[in-house]
This record gives sequence, structure tokens and C-alpha cells, in this order.
Amino acid sequence: MNAFITDFLEWINYAGGILPALLAGTWVTVKLFFWTLVFSLPLGLPIALGSRSRIWPLKALCRAYVFVFRGTPLLLQLFFFYFFLPIAFDIKMDAFTTGVITFILNYAAYFAEIYRGGINGIDKGQYEAAHALGLSKRQTMFGIILPQTFKIILPPVSNEAIVLVKDTALVSVIAVSELMKASRGAVNRDVDMTAYILAAVIYLLLTFVLTILSNYLEKRSLRYDGKEVA
Amino acid sequence: MEMDTKVEINKKKDILIMKDIIKDFATCRALDGVDFSMKKGEVVAIIGSSGSGKSTLLRSINGLEQITSGEIDLRGTTGMVFQHFNLFPHMSCLKNIMYAPMKVQKVSKAEAEKKARELLEMVGLPDKADSFPSQISGGQKQRIAIARALAMNPDIMLFDEPTSALDPEITGEVLAVMRDLALAHMSMIIVTHEMKFARDVSDRVVYMDGGKIIEEGPPSEIFEHPKSKRLQEFLSK
Repeated sequence: MNAFITDFLEWINYAGGILPALLAGTWVTVKLFFWTLVFSLPLGLPIALGSRSRIWPLKALCRAYVFVFRGTPLLLQLFFFYFFLPIAFDIKMDAFTTGVITFILNYAAYFAEIYRGGINGIDKGQYEAAHALGLSKRQTMFGIILPQTFKIILPPVSNEAIVLVKDTALVSVIAVSELMKASRGAVNRDVDMTAYILAAVIYLLLTFVLTILSNYLEKRSLRYDGKEVA
Repeated sequence: MEMDTKVEINKKKDILIMKDIIKDFATCRALDGVDFSMKKGEVVAIIGSSGSGKSTLLRSINGLEQITSGEIDLRGTTGMVFQHFNLFPHMSCLKNIMYAPMKVQKVSKAEAEKKARELLEMVGLPDKADSFPSQISGGQKQRIAIARALAMNPDIMLFDEPTSALDPEITGEVLAVMRDLALAHMSMIIVTHEMKFARDVSDRVVYMDGGKIIEEGPPSEIFEHPKSKRLQEFLSK
């Protein structure tokens, strides 16, 4: 019994020792997550609108963008921007910035598709009513259509945000010291799985916070429907 | 020469003149050479079976359908009321009515709200200002939709089967509002299946079939002395 308590205290002591490094990694993970969302969420909108445009070169460009970024592995894109760009164009960026930019470009493609689906989900009677009232196309899109897509896109956008939390682990391959890299470092050094367990708990906490936030937003967005969230 | 002058005089009273309108859809011809005109203050009911082209004719007036050929001379603005209301679900009833005047006519918020509340009063729903469309009945939705269209001060009101999506027992409240408008000499075109209403309220009834106007005239004539065989058959159904 005494031996067990001693072992446990020792483990707590070890975990406490590696925790600061893991939290430092978590901070990098959170920053990567935050900047990716801040830029990719709005960037998805012009891509979505462009891919519905009647101007065909614009439409082709936006569809091609989505095709490329959705159709290739994020890991490959990370390597591409990390190794290829500095050689080809003599651009020097630190690993974190490269990671953020790659993630923004990649996630914008996914968000664009979610937005496009949301816009397509709005009844054509809404466009007709807006036209009959004399609203311009821009007023119709921004005042009538997009506000209604919010509740349609919220669940898939929340889902993507949760995927993003986990995808951030990928930047460890280009030497960004985020949570995954920090925990792997500890595991390799000490031959002890504790760091992975702690990392898993931290990832779960992050996704848990996101789940609560998205549930709250979903409930709010359905208020005017008189619907209850299941 | 003399005839030309006559046409000119007639034109002055007209608020809408449509000439030889043809509308082709991918698989069919919806309007097949329709001539239609109306005068200011006139209430016209368009009747006919489904697929006769009556809704297409109405929708071509405000550009919801692009006509294939023909001429439309519209001397004023239009407002439209749809079969399925098409209220904006993310806005309160009040905001639904205020939105277009503020955005299109750049009316101030206070002024738009004053007008919207007057219109809510007119359609008998002053207590629904803050309700969302999902919280009110079909008949109430359609009355809000009428108020929303009227807020833009249209010269002509277009009604596209305004009671077809409603339960029979609540069509009355919508028809009552439309009757009030007609009595106030609003120019109205009403595509409808409500024969009794068409007879009571309209100045002129237009019967369409197969994308053509088959017969038109005052309601008494159309309903009591239909000339064409098709109209006789339609009315006996």
C-alpha cells in the first residue's frame, strides 16, 4: 500500500515536471488554431461567392482553388509550403507562420464549401421576395440570404473547428513546438507514456470547450425558429 | 393616322401595357402571344387551371420571369404577394416590413417603423410586430406579406395565388385585407382560384388557358355569360 502511494506521488511529481513544457506547446497549438480560424472563416466567404459567380473565370478559379486544397493532404501542403517556397521564391518564413498560412489556405477551402452548401440551401422564394421588393443582389445576399445560412452552416463549421484542433498536431512535422511535438519530445527522452496521456487530456479539454461553445451558438441561432436543439 | 391618335389617348390611362408576350421554358411555351393591359385603379383577376400561364404572366411583370419576346411597358412600381408568403424568417414581422424601405428607398428608421406600424394596424396585426414569422399562422403571415409589399408604396400590387397555401377557413382574413385595398382603389392583379372573390372584388376577369388569354370582361359577363367553350367547361368544374 505504501509502495503504491509512493509510486503515485512519484508519477505526480514527474507529470508536474513535464507539464510546463506541454502547456507551452498548448499555447502554440491554441495560437495556431486561433489565427487559422480568424483568417480562414472570412476567407471562405469570397471563395464561396466566387464559386457561385456568373463570371466564369472567377468561378473556375474559386472551384479550382477548392479542388486543389481539398483534394491534397494537408500534410503534403505543409511540406510544400515549408520546403518548396523558400527554394523556389526565396521567401523566408518561420515554421509557425508557414504553418498558419497553410492552415488558413486549407481551411478556407473547406469553409467555402460549407458556405456554398448553406447558400444553396436557402429557398428561392427568398430571392424572389427580395427581388420583388427592389433589393439589389448585394443587399439580397448580405441582408437576406447569408444571415439565414448561419444556422445551416453552424454545425458543419463547429465540426471543422474541432477537426482543426487535432490537425494542428500536423505542424509538428515542420518543427513547430506545439503540444504534439512537446509531448513526443518528453516521451522519447524519458521513455514514459505520461506526456501522451496528458496531451490527450489537453486536446480533449480544448475540443470540450469548443463543443460547449458550438452548442450555445446553435441554440441561439435556432431561437427564431421556435425549434429545440436535440 | 386617326387610329394612332386613338391609341395615344388610351395609353394615357394605362399603367401597364404588355404586347405579344411569349415565354418559353425548356420544355414548353408558357405564354403564347399574350396582350394585356390595365388602367390605374383597376382590379384584375386572372383565372384559369394550373399550367395555363397565369402565374408566369404575373411574374413577367416584375421581372421574376424573363420573357422570350414581346414588350412590357410598366409605368410604375410593383409589389408582390406570393403563394408561400416568402417572409424573411430571420426578421421580426416589423423588420420584414421596414427592411426594403430602409435599404432601397433609404427611408429613415423612425419613418420606416412608423409606416410599418400603420400597415400592421391596417392588416389587423399590430400585436405581432415583434413576432417572428415562424410564430404566427399562415393567414397572419400572408397579411404581413401584404403589409411588407405595401410598405414600398407600389403602384400595382401583384398577388400570386395568395390564398392557395392556406386552409380554407382562414382565407377570409387575407381576402378581407385585399378587399379593403380594392375599395381604396389600389391597382391590383390577382391570380386566384377563389371564384367568388374574383367575382365580388374585381373590375375585370381574365381567363387564360394554354398560355393565351381566351376571354376577358367584367365579372358578370365572364361568370354568367361565358362565351368560349373552354371557359364554360372551366367554370362548370
